Amino acid sequence: MATALASRLSKGRSLLGGLCNAFSGLMNSSNGMMNGSILSQQQHRSFIQMGTILKSVDNSGAKEVMCIQSLRGKKGARLGDIIVGSVKDAIPKGKVKKGMVVYGVVVRAAMQKGRADGSQVRFDDNAVVVVGIKEKKKKNSDGSKRKFEYNQPTGTRVFGPVPHEMRLRKQLKILTLAQHIV
Amino acid sequence: MRLVKCWFCSSTIYPGHGIQFVRNDAKIFRFCRSKCHKNFKMKRNPRKVKWTKAFRAAHGKDMTKDKTFEFEKKRNRPERYDRNVTENTLKAIKKIDKIRSAREAKHIENRLKPNKQKKFLDDKKEHEQHIHLVQAPGSVTGKIKVDVSEKKSVQNEAMEE
Repeated sequence: MATALASRLSKGRSLLGGLCNAFSGLMNSSNGMMNGSILSQQQHRSFIQMGTILKSVDNSGAKEVMCIQSLRGKKGARLGDIIVGSVKDAIPKGKVKKGMVVYGVVVRAAMQKGRADGSQVRFDDNAVVVVGIKEKKKKNSDGSKRKFEYNQPTGTRVFGPVPHEMRLRKQLKILTLAQHIV
Repeated sequence: MRLVKCWFCSSTIYPGHGIQFVRNDAKIFRFCRSKCHKNFKMKRNPRKVKWTKAFRAAHGKDMTKDKTFEFEKKRNRPERYDRNVTENTLKAIKKIDKIRSAREAKHIENRLKPNKQKKFLDDKKEHEQHIHLVQAPGSVTGKIKVDVSEKKSVQNEAMEE
């Protein structure tokens, strides 16, 4: 537990969540702008975790989504993973409203992701496409837990480049809506 | 498998190396190593960074216009596999590489040649004009002319003894 704590802190993240991380990120970037020399700390991109604010790149209504939970991965979500988020900012008349809890697929991540050919890809920002709204849990007729497949985006358009990792994740609708597949 | 060029230094990126950065306008920047990636993040212009190919091409240091470069152009049409074509291509690649590097070396040599000659003439002039700066006063340089009168008879006598 102590070692895990130490490793987390050494990576520049704090257990308080994204808030402190975002602040330190801001500090880093402002320092970088000033001198741009070896002294400026290289920003170590990390996972999308609780508190991370992601941009919404569809027309579902949400503009900014804050990650509450990553549905995959202990350390957090990466490119292609699904997250549960809270809508922090939304357009006035949209399907998704501010304060709603939504499911989103990470379509762009600032942290690099390895590909099968050995290369690494990274994007400029963290972005999600809303694929579902959280409802109250309903059980199946036979009493078993329902398993949800989140692959129908709430919106009808997707903006910006989309990685072809979506194909592996069975997010084919997003691929068809995408302007540019990377 | 496709070999691509690094956006910053223009070296070839082999599979498994480097990072691809995708900007939000869908432009892809490929980097061969973290050195190039970090320079890009610092917003440096490769045409101003001396060790990149972009700089060398822009400043005429390296050969840019040659027919051998046309062999390396990106082709989007896949070729049907033909064993003979593959074999010949592999042989050709080696030969073209040899020719191209020979031509590049010649280009650099030609670029440096007038400078070498100029340097030699400058050195010669400096020697003629400014040798007194390094010469010790009173010393004599060059060939000393000594009058030697013919006294063979004396010499012969000396040798006989």
